[in-house]
Amino acid sequence: MRHPFYLIYALFILGMTGFAEYRGWSFTRANELHNVPRSIRENPGAYRSNYIGGFGGSGHYFGGK
Amino acid sequence: MSSAIETPVVQSAALYCPNCGGSIQLRGFAHTLTAICSFCGTVLDTSTPAFRILQTAQEWQQVQPPLPLGSRGKLDGVEWEVIGYQIRSMESEGETYAWGEYVLFNPYRGFRYLSEYNGHWNFIRTLSRIPEGAVSERRIRLDGQVFRKFQSAQAQTTYLLGEFPWRVQVGESVNFIDYIAPPLLLSGEITGSENEITWSLGRYITGAEIWKAFNAPNLPPATTGVFENQPTPRAGSVGGIWKAFGWSLIGLMLVMILMSLMLGGRTVFEQAYEFDPKAGGEPSFVTPDFELKPPTGNVEVQMKTDLENNWTYFNLALIGTDGHAFNFGHEVSFYEGQDSDGHWTEGGKSGAVTISSVPAGTYFLRVEPEGDKTKATLPVHYRLIVRRHVINWLFPILALILLAIPPIIHSFRGLGFERARWQESDYPQGSA
Amino acid sequence: MPIPLQNANCPGCGAPVLFRWEHSIQTTCPYCKSVLVRTDVDLKLIGRIGDLPLESSPLQIGSEGQYRGKPFHAIGRILYEYDQGIWNEWHILFSDNTSGWLADAQLEYDVSFLTASPGPLPGPNDVQLGMNFRWFDADYQITNLTRAHYRGVEGELPFQYWDKHVVLFADLRTTSGRFASVDYSEREPLLFTGEAMEFDDLKLRNLRAFAGWTI
Repeated sequence: MRHPFYLIYALFILGMTGFAEYRGWSFTRANELHNVPRSIRENPGAYRSNYIGGFGGSGHYFGGK
Repeated sequence: MSSAIETPVVQSAALYCPNCGGSIQLRGFAHTLTAICSFCGTVLDTSTPAFRILQTAQEWQQVQPPLPLGSRGKLDGVEWEVIGYQIRSMESEGETYAWGEYVLFNPYRGFRYLSEYNGHWNFIRTLSRIPEGAVSERRIRLDGQVFRKFQSAQAQTTYLLGEFPWRVQVGESVNFIDYIAPPLLLSGEITGSENEITWSLGRYITGAEIWKAFNAPNLPPATTGVFENQPTPRAGSVGGIWKAFGWSLIGLMLVMILMSLMLGGRTVFEQAYEFDPKAGGEPSFVTPDFELKPPTGNVEVQMKTDLENNWTYFNLALIGTDGHAFNFGHEVSFYEGQDSDGHWTEGGKSGAVTISSVPAGTYFLRVEPEGDKTKATLPVHYRLIVRRHVINWLFPILALILLAIPPIIHSFRGLGFERARWQESDYPQGSA
Repeated sequence: MPIPLQNANCPGCGAPVLFRWEHSIQTTCPYCKSVLVRTDVDLKLIGRIGDLPLESSPLQIGSEGQYRGKPFHAIGRILYEYDQGIWNEWHILFSDNTSGWLADAQLEYDVSFLTASPGPLPGPNDVQLGMNFRWFDADYQITNLTRAHYRGVEGELPFQYWDKHVVLFADLRTTSGRFASVDYSEREPLLFTGEAMEFDDLKLRNLRAFAGWTI
């Protein structure tokens, strides 16, 4: 093998690709929250953290809600 | 008839310089036609026993060639002795270039030559076959191989030392024409009133190889610049790295097949819904629970709608029964119409979001669709599909790009070397 | 019918003269340098040669070698001198009793044989560098025109050849290393065809030794 560094590099990339697939990595970042109260099931409309967290900025939010 | 016959040993001839009386030992036996007195620089015709003076030198200084006369070394398995050295020069675009040429001798196998310019060497022999094609052409062939015209110029002998198997004097000129197929150099020397061409074939060789073969003193001259027939460094390795790239692609395919088999992309929840933006009331709702199996991995939420010239924004939260939540959103919009170019569409009726690194557990989705309340549109029908452990095709594409970068850089470096080579040519590559 | 191969004596000095080839016409007496020609009845002394010029061909009379697997040995030679030195045309006898020529021009070797010309040959006044000829499915080009001086003979030759003066030769080469030479020393030009050879491919033995060198 005349390209040992390329071999190492390629193995690293293949390994990272496999690992990323296995762990289900994604380029989408979701806003992660903890301790969401169970009561949300009973009152889904009361869950407002999404607006505060501001994911995505759809441009259709004009504070109308 | 294999009777052993008497084999007299041929002795090398010694002569005395008719100019200064210094002794000259001929290394080339009777093949030497021209010898230069190492004491006074007188050029002697040694083809007759009279040793006629051809040229006397004024203020002659002995130059010590980097590879000394009398050195012996094996090249291609044959022993050669350095018997002559000349400096030749040429003019090109107002610049004078000077290089050294050595005569190598073996009393059975004849003569070879070494040329040296800026630390670049060629091991040369004259040819007893001719190239295919005329010297007016940009490309000629030798032994089926294509050689490209590189330069043509006049070479003038400016300094002589040792012996030569031809008649030569300081100041003599010959025209030459060089064709290259690195590491080979096909050179034609045009002599005489009838333009007789003597062809020779050189092979690029490093100073280090020569110094090792001839056990020469000090170090070979330092190499500068790119020489006309210098092989592209790592030329073979450019093909090699692309081959390695090919193997990496096969490896990448295997990784992806393995991952598809291991993960599989199972649908864990699917349900149809309807959303009317103009309807009042609370639009948000939660889905029933679904199980996300181990190991920790991604979750893809697909939204398949029947939108028509309209948009819907989905506020989504993937909420675990343990209180752990991922908030995200996605807009789906689809527009179409007719214009002067015909039918057009924009956007799509479906969308998908992939959430990474979601631990196993029981989850549900909180969904809050939003739409254009002002438009008199129909209610939107959509399906939510949740899939666990989906393959993300961005990773193999990214891997492909990263794997291709080193071979591409490698190839570009080779191109830079070729550009530097052809910058020195009378026949630039672009116009070839 | 020429005289037998053996039992002849030099008319000049009486030394025994040996012919190695039945078709040899001329030889030289190694003792008195007489040039001897075989006739129907005896050996005729036609002249004397001077000392051969100093030259450094590794071959000598009796040197052996191989060409295309056929063994040969050198039985005679003609020496020529031109403006770039001396060259030898060694007359070589093959084991199948045919003969040819091994040229050694500054240690560049060519083997060739007298060949019936497949087409008209240019005359000595018409021949020019660069002329092309299509012979035996190959393109021959005239690459050298050499005006040479006869400088001496030694040993057996297939013809009477002695004391000539200026001789014109046209050498032809092909892209594959085939060689031809047109010899203008006779009234009609003679064609010799063959090929360039590497020293090591000739497998030469019984060569001269050079001080300080091994083969």
